[in-house]
Amino acid sequence: MIKRIILAALAILLVIASAYASFYIAPTERTMGVIQRIFYFHVASAWAGFTAFFLCFIGNLLYVWKRDQKYDWLGVSGAEVGLAFTTVVLITGPIWAHPVWGIWWTWDARLTSTFVLWLLYVSYLLLRTLVEEPDRRALLSSLFGIFAFIDVPLVFGAIRWWRTQHPQPVIMGGQGSGLDPTMKAVFFFSAFAMHVLMAFLVVERYALEKMQTEADFLAREVEAQ
Amino acid sequence: MSLFSNTVVLLNKELRTEFRSRELLTTTVVFILVVLILFSFAISPTSEESREFGPGLLWLAILFAASLMLQPCFLREQSNDTLSSLRLAVSDPFSIFLAKLTANTLFLLVTEILMLPLFAVFYNIPILPQLHYLLLVLFLGSLGISVAGTALSAISAQARMRELLLPLLLLPLLTPVLVVSATVSVSLLDRAPVVQWKGIAFLAVFDLVFLTALWLFGEYLLEE
Amino acid sequence: MKNLDSVFAAYLIGWGVFFLFYLTIAKRTANVRAELDRLKNSLPRAK
Repeated sequence: MIKRIILAALAILLVIASAYASFYIAPTERTMGVIQRIFYFHVASAWAGFTAFFLCFIGNLLYVWKRDQKYDWLGVSGAEVGLAFTTVVLITGPIWAHPVWGIWWTWDARLTSTFVLWLLYVSYLLLRTLVEEPDRRALLSSLFGIFAFIDVPLVFGAIRWWRTQHPQPVIMGGQGSGLDPTMKAVFFFSAFAMHVLMAFLVVERYALEKMQTEADFLAREVEAQ
Repeated sequence: MSLFSNTVVLLNKELRTEFRSRELLTTTVVFILVVLILFSFAISPTSEESREFGPGLLWLAILFAASLMLQPCFLREQSNDTLSSLRLAVSDPFSIFLAKLTANTLFLLVTEILMLPLFAVFYNIPILPQLHYLLLVLFLGSLGISVAGTALSAISAQARMRELLLPLLLLPLLTPVLVVSATVSVSLLDRAPVVQWKGIAFLAVFDLVFLTALWLFGEYLLEE
Repeated sequence: MKNLDSVFAAYLIGWGVFFLFYLTIAKRTANVRAELDRLKNSLPRAK
């Protein structure tokens, strides 16, 4: 319990610190100006969301192999938290795009792929609501989760190739193409902060799922009497 | 090889079941036809735009049709619990999937080939010059749709709201196939046709990846 | 500094999403904990 409170405090502190760094420590970008500072939040969220989906994938694989419920708890936690971070990516992307390009959505390769990623994991969660029996739900969603995750590189690859056919404005400019060292440091610090926040949310969601499973089990016991 | 012979036997069963009634093929053909016509009502393309949008719309129609056509794939095994008998009859559960996805690919291909002349007429796009490449793309795309669709059909058959669930699971998963197939097809049917070998290779990779995944995890999809 | 508003909006909305997400988890956790206590109490009684 105390560890979770420490994790929560750490997450909040790091997030605030990274925001401060993004505004005051990172230099202003030459071509885009102030609006570029969204980059630290937007891309860091994307990385953390992706790690969360990877955790879901690990949970899925381990569940299919070991059939231990706790891996399913990891799966659903990773998926939901990943979805939260991905939602933030999809919201901050257009907020960036609008002042720069005058339009909200540019079918930028990365943002479009992120949207498909978002849809995939929404489907994962929807599938879970449509299977009642817990073991069956865990197995079916784990299998779909595995298919979804291996699809992700294919989605990103296909859409990137597609965009080379019809070039469109790129939301973040050439990402990683010659980042100033201070910017790089601020970014990696932001990414770290987002990952800690992600870890905290996964831990909380996992604990909820564990408790819910216990409650369901007890409810069945009570009914049996 | 046991896998091969099992698959052939099961494939025969799938084909014979379909050709007895031909309901799957006829409904799929009509569906694609209806969708293509509706598309042209919705966007009323001029001759030039047709070349740009037509192939993409064709692939969209194929995707929608497939997500309907794949519904009965595992559902029909539930009515008399034939799935258990199937699993007992074969040594490798993968042969069940291989048979079904081969049958599905064949059904899709037959549907597409039947649709091609109509598509060419409605959208004013000559298809004969690049027919062989077009068939290659249709084959690789349809294979991808079938592999993913057969796997997901096994999943959705065990859930509620399966009719809505299968498209919901399948369509996001198949975005790579849609994007690449449509782009390659547009290039092929352009006034100055180009064969996008990168795209074709990508489709082959997609098919291989999901075939492998199905091979690795198929047996769990069929668990009781 | 005209785009600073957008940057602020992005950060605030982003934090808002995370905070809302955490709130839903916390609320559900409180509900389940109450449910769990209720169930645990009803068991020894039945025995």
